[in-house]
Amino acid sequence: MLDRLLRMFASRWFRLVLVALVVLSLQTTLFGQIRPFGYAVQIVAIFVACAGATHDVQVGAVTGLVAGFMYDAVLATPLGITALVFGVVGALASLLVQPFREPTWWLRVLAASVAAAFGEVFLPVMNSVVGLSGWLQYRIIGVALVTFVGSLIFALPLMPVTRWTLRERAGRGD
Amino acid sequence: MARKQTTLTRAIILLGLAAVFLITLDLADSNSTSRVRRVFGTVFSPVEDVMRVVTRPLGNAWRSFRDYDEVVDENARLREQVALQEGAAVAAAASVRLSQELLALNGLPTLAGINSVTAQVIGETPTNFSQTVEINQGSNSGIKVGMPVLNAAGLIGKVTEVFGDRALVMLISDPDYALSVKVVTMSSRTPVTLPPLPVEDAPTVNSVLETTDTSSTSSTSSTTTTIKGFTPGTTTLPPEVVAGGASNITVPIASQLAVRETGVLEGRGPGTKPIVRFLDASTRASAIEVGAPIVSAGGSRSLAPPDVVIGVVSRVVERLGTAGPILEIDLVADLSNLSFLRVLLYQPITETEK
Repeated sequence: MLDRLLRMFASRWFRLVLVALVVLSLQTTLFGQIRPFGYAVQIVAIFVACAGATHDVQVGAVTGLVAGFMYDAVLATPLGITALVFGVVGALASLLVQPFREPTWWLRVLAASVAAAFGEVFLPVMNSVVGLSGWLQYRIIGVALVTFVGSLIFALPLMPVTRWTLRERAGRGD
Repeated sequence: MARKQTTLTRAIILLGLAAVFLITLDLADSNSTSRVRRVFGTVFSPVEDVMRVVTRPLGNAWRSFRDYDEVVDENARLREQVALQEGAAVAAAASVRLSQELLALNGLPTLAGINSVTAQVIGETPTNFSQTVEINQGSNSGIKVGMPVLNAAGLIGKVTEVFGDRALVMLISDPDYALSVKVVTMSSRTPVTLPPLPVEDAPTVNSVLETTDTSSTSSTSSTTTTIKGFTPGTTTLPPEVVAGGASNITVPIASQLAVRETGVLEGRGPGTKPIVRFLDASTRASAIEVGAPIVSAGGSRSLAPPDVVIGVVSRVVERLGTAGPILEIDLVADLSNLSFLRVLLYQPITETEK
């Protein structure tokens, strides 16, 4: 029992939850205030995209789903929508990098930025799909652009963080 | 390796299905999702508080970099505005007091009779779409889901999530916000001005005071106790009436009195003005003037008590057929710059039932 508990604490998914809590708190405090051109940079989406760009599709998707659930819990939108969107963002970032055998750092940053910006367009679409009106507006373009540029800036420092967070240790929990 | 991939694929399917399940539950207003949010809020709150303290200097630096010039200009403009409005504010306060007095005399509810909690905004919405703010008062102060929230100018939204010492407020501009409102319009007819009364017919001071006494003694004792600062029997009459014949008396004819149209106010997201829909189809757009005040309609199932100021009509869009006009609203409250708010401890029946 104790061994299983220790294995769980040592697992990369437990580490992901802890790191995602910190990233989420950054989103709700600092990045909630800093709004270039009136749009908030979505650091959680960028974090998820970075996880996808540095790992495979499955890891990207799981990271997105977990971080999305946590983000949903602090928003007033229906629980689960952001999780689905971020799951797609993580998987997409990974898929964008996959065609390249040895992707360079800037290629990963670009892939993460495209995926994060896509997520910001996909989120209002998903909200409209579940019947919430008023989400599809022209400002989505501005939101996606700011997230794309924000991702170009913040993806680079976030990539080592996602690598450390999702690193597997031989013989320990995964 | 293959086993690990299968496990991850299973996890993705499981989490995806869980997401769909939770969306369905949440859209059906299930209590379980609120409970999940509350539990997560309890865990997340300390982390967020620490991060808020750590990142405050960075946030302040950004704001001072971005807003300095604007704040200096605004400060100068506001000083001028305050000087201009000081006189008007005194007159308005007197009118409000008089209105409350009259409502209380007639046994009608007023905002003065509803307790409130003052709260400070401690966080803005982290997303680019939903319009919420976080305040530093929660269920410990008596705040419940659904309670209306005001600032000094007027209505700004309603409480949507409550935790022990904080709460989330959905702003009036959120696409999910809707509230029944009244549009107060005025007729364009010329007012009727009565000629001055002959001196012999004018009421004397004694007769007016006698009339006032007899009409108020029976009703004031039970209805005016909730109004702070109002003492029954201290109302003074304007000297013009008492003097009689000294000035004209303007009597509004029935059609000149304010006409009240009711509709539903809906938020349309940030940067877009809220609208009022579902006005009576027989309402002619020309009957509603730009600048007409919008106040909450009240009623047993309304989200807010009656006559809370919301905004003014900025544009009237007439529609063909049986659809009534649509009104675009300029909110009186500046939602982009919220600091101190007042939560009215008024819970609508619709929220109590939940």
